[in-house]
Amino acid sequence: MVSPAIALAFLPLLLTMIIRYRYYFVLLYRAVLIRWVRDCLTGLSREERAFQYILTHATPGDAQSILDTFDHWCSKVEFISHIGPKKGKILDRLLQEHCPITVLELGTHCGYSTVRIARSLPIGARIYSVEMDERNAQVAEKIIRLAGFDEDMVELIVRPSDEVIPRLREDFGVERLDLVFMDHWKRCYLPDLQLLEGSGLLGEGSIILADNVIFPGAPNFLRHARRSGLYEVRVHRATLEYIRGIRDGMAELTFLGIK
Amino acid sequence: MPRHKLIASESDGKDNEFSLYYVEVEENSQGGQEKQTTRDGKRRRERNGEVSRRRASEKRTTEVDTKRAEKKHEKRHKTARKEGEKHEKRQRRKNADEEEAEEESNKEKKNIKNERTKTLRRDDEKEKDVKKKRKKHVKNEEDNANSGKTKQKDCHDMPLKEKKKKRKKPETTSESESKSESDSAPESKDNQAVGVLGSLTPEELEKLKEAVDERKKLIATMRGKPWPMKKKLVVLRSSCVLQRQETLLIISFLYYSNCQKWMKFQRDFENFKTACIPWEMKIKEIESHFGSSVASYFIFLRWMYGINMILFGLTFGLVMVPEALMGKPYGSIPRKTVPREEEASAMNFAILWDFGGYAKYSVLFYGYYNSQRAIGWLKFRLPLSYFLVGVGTVAYSYMVVIRTMARNANEEGGGDDTSFNFSWKTFTSWDYLIGNPETADNKFASITTSFKEAIVEEQESRKDDNIHLTRFLRVLANFLVLCCLAGSGYLIYFVVRRSQKFALLGLENYGWWERNEVNMVMSLLGMFCPMLFDVISTLENYHPRVALQWQLGRIFALFLGNLYTFIIALMDAIQLKRAEEEIVKKNMTIWQANLYNGTVPDNSTAPPITVHPADIPRGPCWETMVGQEFVRLIISDTMTTYITLLIGDFLRAVLVRFLNNCWCWDLEYGFPSYSEFDVSGNVLGLIFNQGMIWMGAFYAPCLPALNLLRLHVSMYLQCWAVMCCNVPQERVFKASGSNNFYMAMLLVILFLSTLPAIYTIVSIPPSFDCGPFSGKTRMFDVIQETLESDFPAWFGKMFSYASNPGLVLPFLLLLVLAIYYLQSTSKTYKRVNMELKKKLQTQNEENKKKNKLAALKAANELEQARKAGEQRSSSSQHTQNSEPPVSSTHTTTRPPASRGHTSSGHLPGHPQQPQKNSHSNRR
Repeated sequence: MVSPAIALAFLPLLLTMIIRYRYYFVLLYRAVLIRWVRDCLTGLSREERAFQYILTHATPGDAQSILDTFDHWCSKVEFISHIGPKKGKILDRLLQEHCPITVLELGTHCGYSTVRIARSLPIGARIYSVEMDERNAQVAEKIIRLAGFDEDMVELIVRPSDEVIPRLREDFGVERLDLVFMDHWKRCYLPDLQLLEGSGLLGEGSIILADNVIFPGAPNFLRHARRSGLYEVRVHRATLEYIRGIRDGMAELTFLGIK
Repeated sequence: MPRHKLIASESDGKDNEFSLYYVEVEENSQGGQEKQTTRDGKRRRERNGEVSRRRASEKRTTEVDTKRAEKKHEKRHKTARKEGEKHEKRQRRKNADEEEAEEESNKEKKNIKNERTKTLRRDDEKEKDVKKKRKKHVKNEEDNANSGKTKQKDCHDMPLKEKKKKRKKPETTSESESKSESDSAPESKDNQAVGVLGSLTPEELEKLKEAVDERKKLIATMRGKPWPMKKKLVVLRSSCVLQRQETLLIISFLYYSNCQKWMKFQRDFENFKTACIPWEMKIKEIESHFGSSVASYFIFLRWMYGINMILFGLTFGLVMVPEALMGKPYGSIPRKTVPREEEASAMNFAILWDFGGYAKYSVLFYGYYNSQRAIGWLKFRLPLSYFLVGVGTVAYSYMVVIRTMARNANEEGGGDDTSFNFSWKTFTSWDYLIGNPETADNKFASITTSFKEAIVEEQESRKDDNIHLTRFLRVLANFLVLCCLAGSGYLIYFVVRRSQKFALLGLENYGWWERNEVNMVMSLLGMFCPMLFDVISTLENYHPRVALQWQLGRIFALFLGNLYTFIIALMDAIQLKRAEEEIVKKNMTIWQANLYNGTVPDNSTAPPITVHPADIPRGPCWETMVGQEFVRLIISDTMTTYITLLIGDFLRAVLVRFLNNCWCWDLEYGFPSYSEFDVSGNVLGLIFNQGMIWMGAFYAPCLPALNLLRLHVSMYLQCWAVMCCNVPQERVFKASGSNNFYMAMLLVILFLSTLPAIYTIVSIPPSFDCGPFSGKTRMFDVIQETLESDFPAWFGKMFSYASNPGLVLPFLLLLVLAIYYLQSTSKTYKRVNMELKKKLQTQNEENKKKNKLAALKAANELEQARKAGEQRSSSSQHTQNSEPPVSSTHTTTRPPASRGHTSSGHLPGHPQQPQKNSHSNRR
């Protein structure tokens, strides 16, 4: 029989754990528990709830307003893992610096990042946005149209990314990708990167931006990027979107070209 | 570039060269117009030609300007590159002497030679380099490069080159900085060759030396040539003879090179000295990678090692060795023999590991020592020595700790002069004498770390937060920590009480958990509470150095509970043993009576019965028990430390490193990550360990030896573990290598640990049948005994007078007064020092301001003078109207300090000198 004194001696450990990992508990609560309760209560998916909120609160045709509403909903009401406003600024800056003409986005989810990219693209540029989930894609399409971007600007592809990438050239006539934005399953980062390398769509100076490389984490992806010698790697340190205390980062890979 | 230029002008010591030089100077200065009339026709002609040409090329000047800037820049790189190439060339020379000779013979034909050198170069250099070389060649011609090679060339192709130069010179130097320097260069060179030399860089000296060597070689090869004397003379004359200032230069160069050799030797000697300091290299390496806070732990560890070395020397040399050599051998008396009932298991490893059996009955412990007053042929007073060593170790420790604290206090003079800290770091960090790549890596790391530290300091000084919030948070954090401490203190108290109850009822009735409850609770609290404190301390937002001190203080308070329980348990055990001893004493007399009664007949003429010492009953000897407890504690503590190190750090690092390949999140960046080096925990472990040593060393003379072993091993093990499996802290901060905070804690622990030791020595009578003080009522009686029997009577009398309270009390009072006086004076000195420092700083700033003002003023004056001169010249001389106006702007940028050169005298021998001097004076 363990004495109560010994059990009490574990109290400091418990307290330490709670204090140190409080942000993760918050994340668990907001991303899992609240979602589950709301799902049961409303019968709608999280994305559809987000769309409803945006429909009622944002100004149609105004991308900034839609993004702000999204941020508000994600930080105050529920949690959706988007790129978020802070890392979004890094994305905006990159877009301004490089002015990409062809953008491939892997993982549309609700279309937050699609709207974010689309609003700062030059005229004539085109985004190919890949989403695997049918329901999410519907919501994303609505949101993109609501923000005022038409099909010439944003091409939504509802298929898994590993099927899309090899067929980009044939089906969509893409010759070269200037920017690839990855925000889908973290496990798919590495295979998709390798597919991209194999497809020959990357040219010298193409940029691959991968979100969430530190917190959910994509160590294999980072390792490959660092070791292959094909890229110049920069990791932008930031925190996880909408939650302050969890460290996260975006990896910016500049393709150096195959020698 | 000034130095470079200086040498350059040195090389053209010829008349025509000088005249050329003057042309260029005159051109740029309007003030020199009048002087021109005194000059000879040739030069005027040259100048006129120059001027006319200049008019034609006036348009180009602006673009030339930019080009020149580029060129200058390039030049700088070139000289550096040239260095390397020169070396190569020299090597080649040595290898192919024949070719060299041929080359020399063909010297006059420059083109051929150029071809040859080029082909030679092509042999062992890459194409790229060759291109650079060619460029450099051209450059050499235009900037009068200082190497002997080019010098020769210059001399050979003088007529050819002169023209070229005339064309180029005005452009290259018309209003650039270098001109102003070349302006003042010749006279300063002529007069103060040595002075100039002092300001030369080693590379340039190298070049000079090379040039001289080359000339010597040339003469040598010429001697062997089957040429007519006339040809030889021509060649020789053309290839520049050694001149006076050059010989001067060479002499001073030799002096300088000797100096360099001396410096190199000094450096090597320093290296050697560093290599002699134990673990210095290791600590430096750790410091460069992990910052000074981690290094401070290792320095502390090394310091501790030194202290323990001396403690060990004292106990080993004065107690253990004499007893082992001169005392009665093992088995002669009961206290030196393993009792009969233990004999069977006395050699078992488990028993020995627990320091029982043979280990218990050896010099390692108090009980083994005999109470014989003097042993061996030396009449060594072992009991006295034992006592004095016990007291002496503690006294020495006090002395050393306090002395070190006092010495460190000097270093912590308030207010560091960290103006331009980052500039200093940027420009002066690198050590250019580093020759091996590993050292270079370390240096790189250390510079990076020092930058990080400096940035943390800077951030701290600029931090201005909400002060009320910070205060509130700090109070809150302290409150939480106090709660935690109180809670753990109560828990410990509760557990100890309970265990005492268990002990009274008999431990056999309880399970493992109950029996080990105290230890478990202690170690669990000791493990988890620091983590909690660490988390709480993030609230406080302190500078990491201050945070470390708080953390140390808190864990110290926590560990005091540990100490408390240990001492309580020990005291209880001592009481038990003493009660047991009383019983044994009684039994002893009965046993002896029985022994004699049973065997000895009434007429006791027979020899006394000899009983084997192992069979004689003996007391429990509480002193040995105490010593054993301490030794066990030290051993278990050491083991725990090493095992935590291996599992917590090494295994974790291995897992993180290799599992990361097949894990779903990033182990290295994410959750477990690598461990940081726990400075506070390690320092406190060291300090408490030392406290145990101080407490127990009196009863177990082997403790310092064990501790020495432990420190030695942990030095290597921890150095390895830090470099291999830890990562630097997130905020690397600066901590002084000799940390007074550690020392203060050590002092407290020393005090706390000597208290129980002194208490036991003074108030508890020693065991009756073991140890050096057996048979005495108190341990310190040994002093009195010695005084009475070994010293003359008057000494004892004097001692008794001296220990009279009437004398001791005034003496103590005097001591207190002296301490007070010294302390107040030191405070005053400190304040004065601070004020002086402040004064110096303000004066520095003022000087800076003054200098700036003076420079500004001088520049303004120059500007005005220049303008006036310009107006005058434009009115009087029409030929010079076309002078580029840029030259006036140049003067403003020119440092006023260059005036200083003009005041210096000039060397006779160059007719143009005075003119130039006055000329530059006017500028």
